[in-house]
Amino acid sequence: MSTNIPSNLNYTKEHEWTLTEGDIVTIGITDFAQSALGDIVFVEVPEVGADLKVGATFGVVESIKSVSDLYSPISGEVIAKNNDVEASPEKINQDAYGSWLIKVKMKDHSEINKLLSAEQYQEFCNTSH
Amino acid sequence: MSELLRTNLYDEHVKLGGKIVPFAGWEMPVQYTSVKDEALAVRNSVGVFDVSHMGEFFIEGKDAEAFADYLVTNDILNAPTGKAVYSPLCRENGTVVDDLIVYKIAPGRVMICVNASNIEKDFDWMKTKKTGFDCSFTNLSHVFSLLALQGPKALETLKSFVNELPDLEYYSVFETSIGSHPVILARTGYTGEDGFEIFGHHQTIKDLWKNLMAVGVTPCGLAARDVLRLEVCYPLYGHELNDEVNPYDAGLAWTVKPLKTKFIGKDILESKPAKYKLVKLILEKGIPREGYAVLNAKNEVIGQVTSGTISVVLNKGICLARIQIDKAPTDEVFSIDIRNKAYPAQLVKKPFVTGGHK
Repeated sequence: MSTNIPSNLNYTKEHEWTLTEGDIVTIGITDFAQSALGDIVFVEVPEVGADLKVGATFGVVESIKSVSDLYSPISGEVIAKNNDVEASPEKINQDAYGSWLIKVKMKDHSEINKLLSAEQYQEFCNTSH
Repeated sequence: MSELLRTNLYDEHVKLGGKIVPFAGWEMPVQYTSVKDEALAVRNSVGVFDVSHMGEFFIEGKDAEAFADYLVTNDILNAPTGKAVYSPLCRENGTVVDDLIVYKIAPGRVMICVNASNIEKDFDWMKTKKTGFDCSFTNLSHVFSLLALQGPKALETLKSFVNELPDLEYYSVFETSIGSHPVILARTGYTGEDGFEIFGHHQTIKDLWKNLMAVGVTPCGLAARDVLRLEVCYPLYGHELNDEVNPYDAGLAWTVKPLKTKFIGKDILESKPAKYKLVKLILEKGIPREGYAVLNAKNEVIGQVTSGTISVVLNKGICLARIQIDKAPTDEVFSIDIRNKAYPAQLVKKPFVTGGHK
């Protein structure tokens, strides 16, 4: 299975990636996740203004054969969602790291430190499957 | 659960990059590249499935047809030799042990193909019913591999490999050979498209699989198979059918022939008892999944989705759902509860997709 894991991102054990730029965290699902899911056909993410709690579900990704919950890597307020990806979910299969889902203004910077590094995530993918 | 079994083609699936999952006690490829591409290959061109996990029973002797006819609800006796007949297999109380295809290969020679998950259950059940019939009954599941070659180009693809291939009717069966190796060829399948199921010994089928790959036939996994069968509304045991429902509960009234003089379940099934109704629902938005609640106009739960997915042809959510017959809404207004939100669902009477089979 392909495991493209960019070193500039952080990761969760639920196979989400995060890009931190100041207070703003961009969130998507990893290449490992898109490959495991197969053809992604539906994405549901919260509206702008929604409040996210770390570890809580905030949306779903559906492939032809399954439904997977999305878990928030951090707490904060949704400030943008990717309408392109909602309209064309297959873009995640084509480019998981180019197809972000939401941008969140984070509340607590320390939550970032609890996320996995690229190296740790690679290790997690290797051992969990 | 005991150790998972592998078909003789397991290594080929792995070589092709197939993603292997446990299914009905077997390690089977769920997909190779993309479920959508695989399903569309079958709709538009040709694809092949390894379905060697399925079971093959043989009934041979003077009463072969009579025994098969007694076991199942559909009419085997009056079908001509060379025909295949789909049927539920029921208990005396009418509940469904399995659904299967009976192949009338030759006079006094009948093959029954059953679901992998039910091989032992079916064989044990059928064996107890053989008293009084002059025929042998054997489980040869371990002897056969099985490929389903499906799609509008199945016939022209298969022609170059099979010694003799007449233009068989849909749902018919024929014995022929590949090289010097005998195979049983049936114009059947589980996709709604034209196609063939080829039963043969393990090495014969492995060679055929490799030859089909060499000419560019798309290998297809279980996930594509599930989408394809659901698009044409074929039931799947364990979902639309199980040990607790009868054929009428699952929309299979056409497979029960109460006029037959005797068959298992006749006494009960004659009165057409139905507690449920199987409906076909299509959604503009949202993807229905197995277990989701079906709601009426007042948002009351009236049933459950038995199988649901997104159609690769229509790009819409589709499902089969089991509705309690006494709660079936006369206004035909349905919705599906998807993550606590009611998504409107349109009732349709015909299969979502019209397959191209003859």
